[in-house]
Amino acid sequence: MSQAYTTQELMVSACSRLIKDNERVFIGVGIPLLAGVVASKIHAPNSVLIYEAGGVGAITRRLPWSISDNATTDNALVATELWRVLGDVQRGYVDVAVIGGAQIDKYGNLNTTAIIGPGKSYQQPLTRLPGSGGANDLASSAKRLLIIMRLEKRKFVEKLDYITSPGFLSGPGQREKAGLKGGGPEAVITNKCIFRFDSQTKEMYLAELFPGISVDEVKSEVGWDLKIASQIKQVAPPTQQEIEIMHKTDPLGVVLGSKSIQESQSFEDYYQTMKTSYESIVLLI
Amino acid sequence: MGINKLTTLPEAISGLVRDGDTIALGGILSREPIACTYELIRQNKKDLTVIVDSRDESVELLLGAGLVKKVESAYIWVGVIGSGLNFRRAVEKGIPRHVEVEDYTNLAIGMRFLAGALGVPFMPVLSMAGSDIPKYNKKIISMQDPYKGQQVNLVPAAEPDVAFIHVQRADKMGNAQIWGMLANDVNIARAAKKVIITCEEIIPTSEIRKIPNMTQIPYYCVDAVVELPFGAHPLGVAGYYWLDTPFRREWLKASRSQETFDAWLQEWVLGWDTFEEYLRKLGSDRLAKLRKLERDNYRIPKIESY
Repeated sequence: MSQAYTTQELMVSACSRLIKDNERVFIGVGIPLLAGVVASKIHAPNSVLIYEAGGVGAITRRLPWSISDNATTDNALVATELWRVLGDVQRGYVDVAVIGGAQIDKYGNLNTTAIIGPGKSYQQPLTRLPGSGGANDLASSAKRLLIIMRLEKRKFVEKLDYITSPGFLSGPGQREKAGLKGGGPEAVITNKCIFRFDSQTKEMYLAELFPGISVDEVKSEVGWDLKIASQIKQVAPPTQQEIEIMHKTDPLGVVLGSKSIQESQSFEDYYQTMKTSYESIVLLI
Repeated sequence: MGINKLTTLPEAISGLVRDGDTIALGGILSREPIACTYELIRQNKKDLTVIVDSRDESVELLLGAGLVKKVESAYIWVGVIGSGLNFRRAVEKGIPRHVEVEDYTNLAIGMRFLAGALGVPFMPVLSMAGSDIPKYNKKIISMQDPYKGQQVNLVPAAEPDVAFIHVQRADKMGNAQIWGMLANDVNIARAAKKVIITCEEIIPTSEIRKIPNMTQIPYYCVDAVVELPFGAHPLGVAGYYWLDTPFRREWLKASRSQETFDAWLQEWVLGWDTFEEYLRKLGSDRLAKLRKLERDNYRIPKIESY
């Protein structure tokens, strides 16, 4: 039987269901953004999306492509400064943040700075990554933290070369000891499953599987001896309504991936594609 | 007469920027001062230290041109399109030159500019505790605050020699209006010793006076004002134009090797005499379409009837 949805759609849906009504949601682009929009159109109509460069509560006619593009203040409630909205996270005004990462360990610590590699150094690593951006700020201070990453063995590693953003650091009590205000990671949403964190040990465990995925399939992509929930739940597939909203919001498939804006195209093709997609979007107020 | 800081981009850069300067650039993806980046490359301003929160082309191109000796940053990437290959090549392989890195977070860099803007030596943040950022960056100092006993991380004030900020509108005095997200520009302008404002449009001071709340950067922070429509191309400016994605894809493709990136620089940055020539090379039809993509969706409202 062929599936009526794609993995991307399933990830967006799974993430959106973790956003609650009335929450102030600090959002990254890509899957988190679409998830935020889907949540706000279905079960969380009073949630408000906050973008890092200063846009709060935008209701956009275009899918923002970044945390700072023009669309992030389109029909917004507030257009302010970057340090101001991240300061609002530190102050405790933000309920949930959604971030990604290049590498993660079993305590939910993330590396987005450098894969240093054997014989190499921080100043001259094997692979330099972009850096924290605001991820460390969110992981430090957001009340709830959701992480989105593809499940791959090179990403789910026993030991990180560099901790950019704190999960539970080296285990129970360590966030408190370091003086971190935020609640730490709550879930890791992947393309195959959802991990959660044990309330006692703070260790990541397999909590929910996507349809058709086995426990062994997940275990083979994780670089440590993964703990498994005694009763694994099945992630419910996205509904038709969720899928419709996703595609209305992302007609170009920038996140959903059906036709990428990154495909080679002439300026004229780009212009026509963008123009058509804008015309097809009804302002979703 | 009044105060008049209007000048040209080549004059502003040659007059205000020295080799070895510490610089800051405004915007993030929207309103990054790309024309300034081009002119820094054209004038071969070398050995720069760059302090930024998160940037795309404005820093990537400088890195690829070999003008940067150090980045004090939170994030260098090419938004939407992918990983910054010039940044990676410089840090990993030392090509075209080795670049020293000093990592912060976006809030930490924001606090550095706030400290600079307030004229105080540092600011505390709660971020970065427990992470490896302070382990590799000795400028970040952890201490217990003397009032509540809370653990905080101190970050030093950023006081760049020169800042480049691209805005929608400014007057010839240097009062700058910004629409949409502000990033850290308000503090960057106040923290820097010298500020070059480039803008989409010069407007009369009488227009500034009608909506003083729109003035995000006051004239007394500003040293030079340059009218430079499309001064953020291929990035966007809210209410003015949208991202030129095909152009961005081309330079990013060229940045896969130093040779092809150098050839791209020759064609798109070094091969013209004035920025107007660059715009002519892009073509008025292309520019008009980028404007239409933006203005069909986003217009800065008229506030006359407020």
